[in-house]
Amino acid sequence: MAKLLVDRDKYAAPNASVVVDAYHAAIHDLIRRKLDASGGDWASFVFDKSYDLITAAEFAAIEKKLLATGHRFDWSAMISVHERPEAYKPATGLGEDLATFAFEHAEAVVAPPDAQGREQRGIGDNVVKYAQNLVGVARYIRSSDRVLELLTSGIPADTIAVIDDSGGTLTAPILEQFKGVICAGGTVRSHLGILTREYGIPCLMNAKISGIREGDRVEIECTAPAKTAEAYQTGVEMTAKVWRLGK
Amino acid sequence: MASSRLTYAQILETNNLIQANADETYWLCVTRTVQESKLFPVPAYMMLSYMMAYYRYPSLLRKIESRMSAEEIGDRARNAGIKIQNPSMGWALPGFYLLGREWLISLGMIRPQDALEDLVYLMDFWKRFQLSWHRNNGHITNKEFGHRGQFLPERKVQVFHADMYDCKQGDELHEAAQGFMAAASQYGFLISCESRISLHNSGPYKLADDREMIVRDFMDLSESDFPWLDGVASEVPYNNLTVTMAVKDSHFYLVDDWGSFESKPEFTADKLVGVGLYTSDTLSDSYIPVGMGSREELTSCFRSLTEKIKDANNKLWRRVAGWSRDQMMDAGAITYFSIVKDLAHVAGVYDVNDWMMVDERAERFRPLFNDEYSRDALVGLCIGTHTSHRLSGYTMMQHSNQPQRLYSLIPYSVLQGDDYTTTCGPVYPGASHLPPKEDRYNTTRGVIGLAEYNRLAREMRPPALDPKYRHLCETWVKYNAGTPLADELYRIEQSTSRLLKGKGSSLTRADIEKLRNAAH
Repeated sequence: MAKLLVDRDKYAAPNASVVVDAYHAAIHDLIRRKLDASGGDWASFVFDKSYDLITAAEFAAIEKKLLATGHRFDWSAMISVHERPEAYKPATGLGEDLATFAFEHAEAVVAPPDAQGREQRGIGDNVVKYAQNLVGVARYIRSSDRVLELLTSGIPADTIAVIDDSGGTLTAPILEQFKGVICAGGTVRSHLGILTREYGIPCLMNAKISGIREGDRVEIECTAPAKTAEAYQTGVEMTAKVWRLGK
Repeated sequence: MASSRLTYAQILETNNLIQANADETYWLCVTRTVQESKLFPVPAYMMLSYMMAYYRYPSLLRKIESRMSAEEIGDRARNAGIKIQNPSMGWALPGFYLLGREWLISLGMIRPQDALEDLVYLMDFWKRFQLSWHRNNGHITNKEFGHRGQFLPERKVQVFHADMYDCKQGDELHEAAQGFMAAASQYGFLISCESRISLHNSGPYKLADDREMIVRDFMDLSESDFPWLDGVASEVPYNNLTVTMAVKDSHFYLVDDWGSFESKPEFTADKLVGVGLYTSDTLSDSYIPVGMGSREELTSCFRSLTEKIKDANNKLWRRVAGWSRDQMMDAGAITYFSIVKDLAHVAGVYDVNDWMMVDERAERFRPLFNDEYSRDALVGLCIGTHTSHRLSGYTMMQHSNQPQRLYSLIPYSVLQGDDYTTTCGPVYPGASHLPPKEDRYNTTRGVIGLAEYNRLAREMRPPALDPKYRHLCETWVKYNAGTPLADELYRIEQSTSRLLKGKGSSLTRADIEKLRNAAH
């Protein structure tokens, strides 16, 4: 079989991602076969014959083979799991099971109730330091269906949105109406962090929380110092607390 | 086998440019922000866009240069807040192409010595553009300038400085400007499918001992190139808007080649003490003031624009929420790939089929781009963990100290007979899952069709770039201020200025402050 340049790589090492390794091995094999089939001349293959010989169907077959082993893909965009539930790991906490759903992050820092009855249920990176902490009602917002629902019914004024998308597009039509945001992802430089800063909405990014359910009253420590770029680069911990309050 | 020969000097220089980009790409990817979305399949569309860039950029740049050189377009880039700034030119043009190339190398589909003439040409185009655009600061990138983005000549900075209106937290103008920037930022993220490609910051420019100016561009806001804005953005009156911001007691110590900034003490809303508003595009001579007649007019203008942008934002969100994954992929990939499309607008050779379609050679890869593979492959490309990145164990990459190189260099062995290929070929046909673009482009000359847009672009002769003035640079001004020729040059920029109209070339920064104070 034809040899590719990658077959002679002195410093080759496995990729940290099993999926990448599996795909690349399959693609290398595909190219060797197609190069052989084309006569083995690289110069006429690379930007000419390969355009016809290496097709979308060949790549689809590689994915099919991986799925046949039982592997299911991690999803990042809801549309992916929505269109192909058979190919992705299931999504939870997006719809009907919201009432029983809670983020449960292993790194969440929790503590018993303090003298004011506030039970710490997590931490996050404060985007902007404000004069007072913020109290509101936690509402999970994790899907475009949920955004559409709130867009139609109206966003309760006391909403502290609990989100795991550090982007700025999922909540684009309703973000401005949040009282506060707890985001289980990103950094204070993520798009959601940038936008909450522009809108003047207290926000914790990169939050690690546990046991906060839909409708819980929560307090976020937005009086904590804002996490700085230097703190991220040097690995210095600068966190703000998230408390669950009595009903 | 190649049909022509590259020289040692060409390969040395190209490899240097590749390596500089590799080092900065790693730094940007690791230290800046993570871009993620539950709405858009971001890593998937990014991977697709890199393929589009690899297969099309060289041909499209050659087409652009058949009408206008990279250096001339670089001169024009200093004149308008359009999408040939950052991250488009400082990073994305070489970055997207090189990321695509590296991924194909890691797949075994190409070798580092394939499509060499494409590669050498693209990097050379980029170098010439960057040096021209950065002419006033003498660097090739913001990175080389210590992460600083000063491009504008004094005459333009003086107009921005002079005409800016003071504001302070709690007053109407401050509130209106902040509201506009929040809404425009959010809309920008949505337009560009969760990327920050519609936003650009440059500067800082020193206004006084305690004040700096940042220039913020919000781009592609109205009905123009993107088919997904047809209908929803028809009420947004300007396609590009530039906000000049004076900031007190905060130093912008980093403005990167992605067009984002860091400041110390951190910039917060209370530090915003002055604003101005402009529009521009490839058909405008320079920045055109918007609502700058009075403080009240500017406040009202910001408010009106905010409402229109919010309305477009909500309409666009509903449209996007109904898209299929393929449509989201296409919109995101096209947004990324077409990040340098304004080069074609400046040259007057823009074609929807060139910029708003997925090339069939890139399209082949779509079945690979599920969320997990795309995420892992993209992370690998950005931090250097694919096989092609690995180097000798003795090697220590800049920033990471790992034996890696983010972009493969050209092997010099091609100079002593090793075979190489020259090009990936011309532009192949493309397609898109999105509705076709309607022939409606909102420009500073009105809403026009593309043929008219290209015609007007080809006829454009910005006065400040007339051969009589083109090379009257900042060094020349230093020794010729007050001469009739220098005054002529400054008066071109001052022609639309509220405070500086006709003032000429002799004013200093302190004089501008006096004029501002007298006007208040």
